[in-house]
Amino acid sequence: MTPAISITGLTRRYRDQFALNDVSLDLEAGSITGLLGRNGAGKTTLLRILAGQEFPSTGSVQVLGAGPAENEAVLRRTVFVREDQTYPDFAVRHALRAASWWYPNWDAELADELQAAFELPAGRAIKKLSRGMRSALGITIGLAARAEVTMFDEPYAGLDAVARHLFYDRLLADYAEQPRTVLLSTHLIDEAAGLLERVVLLDRGRVVLQANADELRGSVTRVSGHALAVAEFIGGRPVWERRRVASQESVVLVGALSEADHVRARTLHLNLEPLTLQQVVVHAAGTPEAGIQLRTSA
Amino acid sequence: MNTWIKVARYHLVQPVLYVALPWSILAFTFLVNLTILGFIPATDGQARYVGALSSIYVVVCTAGAVMTFRSLPFGLALGASRRSFYIGTALLALATAVLYGLALAVLSVVEGSTGGWGVSMHFFRVPYLLDGPWYLTWLTSLVGLALLHVYGMWYGLIYRRWSIVGLVAFICAQIIALLGGALLATWAGAWDSIGRFFTNLTASGLTGLLAALTAVLFAGGLVTVRRVTV
Repeated sequence: MTPAISITGLTRRYRDQFALNDVSLDLEAGSITGLLGRNGAGKTTLLRILAGQEFPSTGSVQVLGAGPAENEAVLRRTVFVREDQTYPDFAVRHALRAASWWYPNWDAELADELQAAFELPAGRAIKKLSRGMRSALGITIGLAARAEVTMFDEPYAGLDAVARHLFYDRLLADYAEQPRTVLLSTHLIDEAAGLLERVVLLDRGRVVLQANADELRGSVTRVSGHALAVAEFIGGRPVWERRRVASQESVVLVGALSEADHVRARTLHLNLEPLTLQQVVVHAAGTPEAGIQLRTSA
Repeated sequence: MNTWIKVARYHLVQPVLYVALPWSILAFTFLVNLTILGFIPATDGQARYVGALSSIYVVVCTAGAVMTFRSLPFGLALGASRRSFYIGTALLALATAVLYGLALAVLSVVEGSTGGWGVSMHFFRVPYLLDGPWYLTWLTSLVGLALLHVYGMWYGLIYRRWSIVGLVAFICAQIIALLGGALLATWAGAWDSIGRFFTNLTASGLTGLLAALTAVLFAGGLVTVRRVTV
């Protein structure tokens, strides 16, 4: 499949600070990708460049086969919802009305539905909305736009759990109906985990990990039991962390486990516990070499 | 729909700032001036100038700055290119200048035929600039409004891109340019001919000069907008 988004050697510098450092990435059309990373990792800068709002220092990006900067043919097919969006002195309905003119696939019915579900007051000035309500407005625009490339940057800041799940459900439902390329930056990794097909992890402007979410979930396991048994089980395989209390040891093992591994673990009386996506990501973001190990073992 | 038109419509979704505000402020200053002049007895036939017409120009200039500063980020988020956003906004500036200029010309004709609203007030008729035939008043008002609107837009862009430091630098650069011009004129001993040029300049000639300046400001904004990030 041709990539919907293709990034080659992308660097963005602010003075001597690298917001993005030699990022190369291909995202296939029709996939939901989670863009993960700590604050300041470069997620927003990357999305802004993809949306044509910021320019690369060096390197190139292609969205739907062409550069997005100043390219309306591409921008029309892209929607970018950011947490810190500045609006004019608009009421909610003004923003939705304006959005309805701009996106060729705008779904007015869906917009109404979401507006009702989020209980967005149509007549209220946007600057008087609470943080959560502003997020709800962004989500409404982002989903109703039904753009081929849909990008959300921390779309649910301040949203309560019910509203967040409403977002996940609607995104999935709409995605199933009309597949598109979704790129979602988030800190709530485990919550969004069920949604993500791929994850890209940024750390200090670099891609430290990109993998299939399902593979990643099964690829790191905590093995605990008697220290001798653990050592026998691990052998020479890569590990992230060893913790030992008396004769008991707990080791985080990198690499997918085979059926034979599971059988052996049972006979050695070892406890196997797969790490959640969030645990994997937290570890990978903290230790850059972890990402490399994961990639070579996957 | 053409993107330029979409940009113009986008600004007009919430028309308070661009339509209601300039005219209500103008109406307010008009009524204030009318009331004051109503109190003070008029000397026979003497024209009474008030200069409050400038309020609409100030509001239009501010509106231009708000259009680029406040409305640009969401405009780009909606998928406008910087270029289209700028040109669409400038087209809206021109369209409003045409309409508002016409309204001002009509009002100045009314003012002339009612003896200055019965109190010899020169609110819409400004000596030299706006006291010719109605179509020249229209043209001059149009150019003046467009000029200030585009000028305001440039300020908004500078502030969006380089914030307060850039804004100060921008103002200083303009002062330095004027100062440089003045020094140059002094060294070249050109003040006499400059003085003659302006004394001989007709109102329509001045309008032409202002139109040329508007074009320069428009081009300046167009170059600036390419570097704006949000």
